[in-house]
Amino acid sequence: MRLTIEHRTEYRYEQEVAHSTQYLRLTPKSSAQQRVLSWDLDMPEQASRSTDAFGNVLHVLTLDRPHDSISITARGEVDISDVLLESEEQRLSPLVFQRFTPITRADQEIKDFAARFSGQRSVSQMAALSAALIEKMPYTPGSTIVTSTAAEAFHAGSGVCQDHAHVFLSCCRVLGIPARYVSGYLCTDDSNHVASHAWAEVWLDGVWQTVDVTNQVITPSHHLKLAVGLDYLDACPVRGVRYGGGIESMHAFALVERSEVPAEQ
Amino acid sequence: MFPCTPPGTGIYDEMLLQDGSVREHYAAYWKWLNQRPLEEMERKRREAELLFHRVGITFAVYGESRGTERLIPFDSLPRIIPAQEWSALEEGIRQRVLALNMFLHDIYHDQRIIREGRLPAEQVFGNAHYQPCMQDVNLPNDIYAQISGVDLIRDDSGNWFVLEDNLRTPSGVSYMIENRRMMMRLFPELFSTNPVAPVDHYPSLLLETLQQGSFVSHPNVVLLTPGRYNSAYFEHAFLAQQMGIELVEGADLFVKDGHVFMRTTAGPQRVDVIYRRIDDDYLDPLAFRQDSALGVPGLLSVYREGNVAIANAVGTGVADDKSIYPYVPDMIRFYLDEEPILHNVPTWQCRNPKELDHVLHHLPDLVVKEVHGAGGYGMLVGPASTAEQIAQFRERLKARPDNYIAQPTLSLSTCPIFTAAGIAPRHIDLRPFVLSGRDIRMVPGGLTRVAMQQGSLVVNSSQGGGTKDTWVLEEPSC
Repeated sequence: MRLTIEHRTEYRYEQEVAHSTQYLRLTPKSSAQQRVLSWDLDMPEQASRSTDAFGNVLHVLTLDRPHDSISITARGEVDISDVLLESEEQRLSPLVFQRFTPITRADQEIKDFAARFSGQRSVSQMAALSAALIEKMPYTPGSTIVTSTAAEAFHAGSGVCQDHAHVFLSCCRVLGIPARYVSGYLCTDDSNHVASHAWAEVWLDGVWQTVDVTNQVITPSHHLKLAVGLDYLDACPVRGVRYGGGIESMHAFALVERSEVPAEQ
Repeated sequence: MFPCTPPGTGIYDEMLLQDGSVREHYAAYWKWLNQRPLEEMERKRREAELLFHRVGITFAVYGESRGTERLIPFDSLPRIIPAQEWSALEEGIRQRVLALNMFLHDIYHDQRIIREGRLPAEQVFGNAHYQPCMQDVNLPNDIYAQISGVDLIRDDSGNWFVLEDNLRTPSGVSYMIENRRMMMRLFPELFSTNPVAPVDHYPSLLLETLQQGSFVSHPNVVLLTPGRYNSAYFEHAFLAQQMGIELVEGADLFVKDGHVFMRTTAGPQRVDVIYRRIDDDYLDPLAFRQDSALGVPGLLSVYREGNVAIANAVGTGVADDKSIYPYVPDMIRFYLDEEPILHNVPTWQCRNPKELDHVLHHLPDLVVKEVHGAGGYGMLVGPASTAEQIAQFRERLKARPDNYIAQPTLSLSTCPIFTAAGIAPRHIDLRPFVLSGRDIRMVPGGLTRVAMQQGSLVVNSSQGGGTKDTWVLEEPSC
């Protein structure tokens, strides 16, 4: 399946910002599951490109002149294959992903919940955990905020994809199973659906296995991966620090469409 | 004779033997002291205090009322180490620091020590101080800890032990230098009669070490401080001034086009080496703690590309963690194929149920420390604690055993200090500073810390400890 993506992020500031620096994880990498055909970033200035701790493509954008808005647009075309398992050359030990972060720290409530799924480590067990989780915290836009922790969202009993992923990671880590946060796009048939998405991957039998709690999917076919990390903060598309600016308003717009794939020769 | 309280029984004293006679390497000093009236030494003590106030050597103490700065007590009776003893110690310290740097390179590259089963993987990768962002990052000379402070103590027989390795941002070296300057000012005659090895060249060795840690040939070096509210701010300002480099805070630096720049009145100036005195967690708010206002946004991305050097490297904390400490002797065997010259203090890891059981049954005799703790905070000194304190600590230990290690209460050696009534023994330790660049260099001695209260074993300056000048006596030339 071929996807065309356009993802625009706009920040507006009430007052002028003197200086800002952004970490952008807005560029997908080619892998067994996805092949990047073309990809471009439109930014106010040239950003320097590197690779981060988790192998993600990282752009660092610094604006050191006064500005009252920042607009970043990512555009590209990607082929999604139906290979189920991610192949990856990663020298980092998966055990790193067993580590709790301030966002994914488990409280007693999460520990008790996760304990029900101890025992065998299998895809079906993870699917069962995922199913129990969506029942416990149904998808409810607006019920949490971007800085909500796993424990807060779990206690609230609702959340969005980011919260689902965080609570799932927290449970896996309680069970001693490495698990990581994935940020990316989802192509849905419902065009009104927000296309920016987050899900999880668990380390089982030497491969990273997808678990999308929000959509109850363990065989990704409509998922385009942008970045991975210990939690949202490691993998989010845009993370910045600014000096000045006052109140900020952020607007993100992402459109993912299926495009025609020319017939194989 | 100068009024003197004899050392306690069963305790090794650096200067005096149990029968009250003086050790050979203190003979010249002892002779000099016995020609001094008590009043003169008291006058010198007051003079030293006044001078330190003027120099501004202070130390902010956490947990006291905000902004409290206090003079670190200085004692003018030197701690003396004979040349031969020092050279054996130095060899042991070099061996240890070399192995620790090899360990850091290994765990951030091929992880041979784990694959060969010498260290459990979860001990390293599950450790909060293991930094995933350092995997496969190459550093000049493969050095991670350019500056190390190795804390040494002696037991009741005078045997040396390593208490801990400080590989993050060890502090105290400014006191080593200032203590020597003070002694030379107060008692110049002592330095003409005793062959005391100099320490004043430490800042120039440090600067050379920092320069060697850069990929560029004439690097611009800065010292990054968290600011004036940090307990060691005096030292940051002192070292920057001694090395002739800029003292900067996070807001003075910014990242652009893959490099780090310093804001100056003459425009941005590129920075090649950052001697940072802030913890990993605060270095880059976009990569670590996002609430950090102390760091430089984007710094980690430049560092990973090799376009700036950071000393010490990011991620050294995994090697000086108390949960890794028990493995250091075996690291020396593994990487160097040598037997460790310096010994570890025997350590029980409370995360192992059997060892925890032993610790719980012997709490009144043991010292229990937090695995990630530092500065003498959050620890239990069994013999010095009340039954109630021990009971409270027992609950904390049972709730999170993996957070603690325990060690026998070593008596620590003593060295006399001056008191109003004459000299009296106090417990001490020793922190030599080790510089690792293209080779390993040290100035002789280090910082001797003193527990100023009679009988106390806690020497940390954050807990009221003081300091002394440390003399390594060079062999008399014939």
